[in-house]
Amino acid sequence: MLELRHVFKSFSDRGRVMPVLHDIQTTIEDGQLVCIVGPSGCGKSTLLRIMMGLAPPTSGEILYHGSPLAGVNLRAAMVFQSFALLPWLTVQSNVELGLKARGLTGALAQQRANFYLDKVGLDGYEEAYPSELSGGMKQRAGIARALAVEPDLLFMDEPFAGLDALTSANLREEVLTLWSDRALPVHTVVMVTHIIEEAVLMADRVLVMAQQPGRIAADLDVSLERPRNKRDPGFDALVDSIFEKIV
Amino acid sequence: MPVNRPSSRGWTVVLVALLLAAATLFQGPRALQMARAVVYSEPGFADLPGAAAWSLMRMTVSYLASLAFAWLVGYQAATNPRAARVLLPLLDVGQSVPVLGFFPAAIFLFVTLLGGGRIGFELAAIFLIFTSQSWNLAFGVYEGLSTIPLETRAATESLGLRGPLLWRTLYLPACVPSLVYNSILSWANGWYFLIASEIIVSGPVHYDLPGLGSVMSQAFARGDLRLAIGAILVLTTLVLAIEFVVWRPLRAWSMRFRYDTQGSGEGEEAMLRLPDLGLPALMRAARTAVRALWAHAPARRGASRVASATARSLARGARALRWPLAAASVVLLAAISAMGVWAMVRALRPPWPPEAASVPLALLLSFLRINAAYVLALLWTIPVTLWAYEHPRGTRALTVVAQVGASLPATAFFPVLVALLVDRYGGMEMISIALALTGMQWYLLFNLLAGVQRVPNDLRESLRSLGLSRPAIWRRLVLPACMPSLVTGSVVAWGGTWNALILSEYVAYRDRVYEVVGVGALINRATFKTGNRALLFLSLAALVITVVAFNRLVWDRVYRHVNARYRMEG
Ligand SMILES: Nc1ncnc2c1ncn2[C@@H]1O[C@H](COP(=O)(O)OP(=O)(O)O)[C@@H](O)[C@H]1O
Ligand SMILES: [Mg+2]
Repeated sequence: MLELRHVFKSFSDRGRVMPVLHDIQTTIEDGQLVCIVGPSGCGKSTLLRIMMGLAPPTSGEILYHGSPLAGVNLRAAMVFQSFALLPWLTVQSNVELGLKARGLTGALAQQRANFYLDKVGLDGYEEAYPSELSGGMKQRAGIARALAVEPDLLFMDEPFAGLDALTSANLREEVLTLWSDRALPVHTVVMVTHIIEEAVLMADRVLVMAQQPGRIAADLDVSLERPRNKRDPGFDALVDSIFEKIV
Repeated sequence: MPVNRPSSRGWTVVLVALLLAAATLFQGPRALQMARAVVYSEPGFADLPGAAAWSLMRMTVSYLASLAFAWLVGYQAATNPRAARVLLPLLDVGQSVPVLGFFPAAIFLFVTLLGGGRIGFELAAIFLIFTSQSWNLAFGVYEGLSTIPLETRAATESLGLRGPLLWRTLYLPACVPSLVYNSILSWANGWYFLIASEIIVSGPVHYDLPGLGSVMSQAFARGDLRLAIGAILVLTTLVLAIEFVVWRPLRAWSMRFRYDTQGSGEGEEAMLRLPDLGLPALMRAARTAVRALWAHAPARRGASRVASATARSLARGARALRWPLAAASVVLLAAISAMGVWAMVRALRPPWPPEAASVPLALLLSFLRINAAYVLALLWTIPVTLWAYEHPRGTRALTVVAQVGASLPATAFFPVLVALLVDRYGGMEMISIALALTGMQWYLLFNLLAGVQRVPNDLRESLRSLGLSRPAIWRRLVLPACMPSLVTGSVVAWGGTWNALILSEYVAYRDRVYEVVGVGALINRATFKTGNRALLFLSLAALVITVVAFNRLVWDRVYRHVNARYRMEG
């Protein structure tokens, strides 16, 4: 579905060139939940932004269904660590934003927004402002906003990192439920996290990144039975082997 | 000020030089003689509403023009790093130069362009107000746009928002808090300069520009105390009404447009506790009505399609015209600068007027006056601040007093000072210092009170439990904690007060001219009496260079030092 060919990225900071991504080469298959793990600052967010088309690579190619990506991929959507809701819009209006940008307005947009707010468990909060919500609810709104555009591909950049442990565990389960819900349109998810356990709990496949310059150090399939649990046999072994690849 | 000051020295020097060069293009008296043919009428009580309306009209026009300028410049500076490198120092200089010194130049420019009639003076006055309002607002837009969090920007982009929708949902709302905050400052600044320009026009220039400032100064000059007090009352009512009906509610409303991640800023709580009159409720009703009408409008689809098509073609037009426009303005600027430099060179050819020798002394005396006023202001505001620290209930009332005091234009009380003090109690010397003081004291008090409210309570209690006496707590905790806001207030108050001297060192009162030795008097004399361009240029240059250099060499350093050392964390 999404193919990256020899992707390099560097930033120039006052004349000094800083390489951030080094020769990234991978393919995201249809229907997979892929987690990218790596230490902070290794370029995970940058890689995700490039996959989304928010930033161009310095060199290399990104192919979406075989054709090169130019600009933002409107068939994809993204969820952010800071939730990135607009504080001056209600939850409902926030969710309708992407629909408006696609020319969908009025009752249709409202219906669609309500459907996804319902799915993430936010019905009754349509008219609330983001500042009135708890962190977990904000991220639910962020997820509803991304789902509402009915993307083929969903990117999530450390979606649970800004939440407390209990909330993030809850939300993780719910994202897994949403992902496996065949009634929803999105089945392909790329999620960034810096918590190895989280990746092993959720992913079909884990891309392990190493630092300086950011590169893919390992590409592992996770074949543990779902639903998974930290006490599953083989869980610890997998976590340990990923940990070793990062350091 | 929350704006971080850009320091790019090269550009500052170039800009100051060009500004001065452009100012020497004019000749004072010739232009003013062209204007003097107009009848000079005697205002009465019946003229007050009309005068208020005219003053308000000037304010509104210049505010709207400043807003347009702010978006143009602020957007460029925030989105184009190369433009930012030129624009930010320009705004910084514009903000710190004593604008009033260039007022004669503005009068000349508009009078030569449009003839000696009313329109020339109207535009000169509006232009002066504009130059006092626009820098702040441009910084507001710049700050609003450049503080949009990275992920928020990425989110709107990833959702596919573009064009008018992006402006409506992201850019405009993101600027609301900083723009409203800066609008309040700009609006208060505008009143100050509006009154000043009306006083100058009706005083030394002898031209009739209807407005509260001119009514006031003419009434005082005639000795018509009742009319003068009436004018001051009307002005005060007008200023306060706008403050309470427009700005305060807008400020409260603008809080909704802040990001959660930001902590609450300066003096916020004190602001919010004041009553919100009218506006939000009114706006909500108006918005509902407009929405309802819009939903039922038959031509809705067509209209929105036309609107978006217009927006698109406008954007396309702007893009196509960008380079020609940029080229044209560069050529125009270059031509004006060249003419200015040429005029400057000609004006500066020896022999210099004998008065040129008095520039350094005049500058020194003006400098001393400002600092005298500054010290006087500190002498009463610091004890009051300490009192407020011990009486938290009093702080709220004092904050209101300081805010109201700061929103009233000090220049409005200038005619009162003149009528009271001329020929008495030190005369002009006192008037100059008193006007400078009335301008700066509220600003200092306001900032000090904001600082005192931020002193953490647990720090005070820990010092008390250590057995420190009250004066020791003041010295060790309260005063150091207030330093950052004191310096912020001082920079603005000190820079703005130079304008007061230009107004107050040279006064036409009851057909006599009163003056002191000072750079403001030199500028006025060169413009309105002798028309000596060399002298005018020298005094303006001395003034601007002193102010900019003092800001760069002293205040910037003090500001950085104090912020590094005394800023409270968290
Ligand atoms: N816009 C940018 N300009 C300059 N450097 C950047 C930019 N974005 C990211 N970087 C740098 O790239 C590196 C990787 O950043 P990021 O992708 O955010 O890492 P991660 O998400 O893995 O923590 C960091 O060192 C960061 O400083
Ligand atoms: Mg990141």
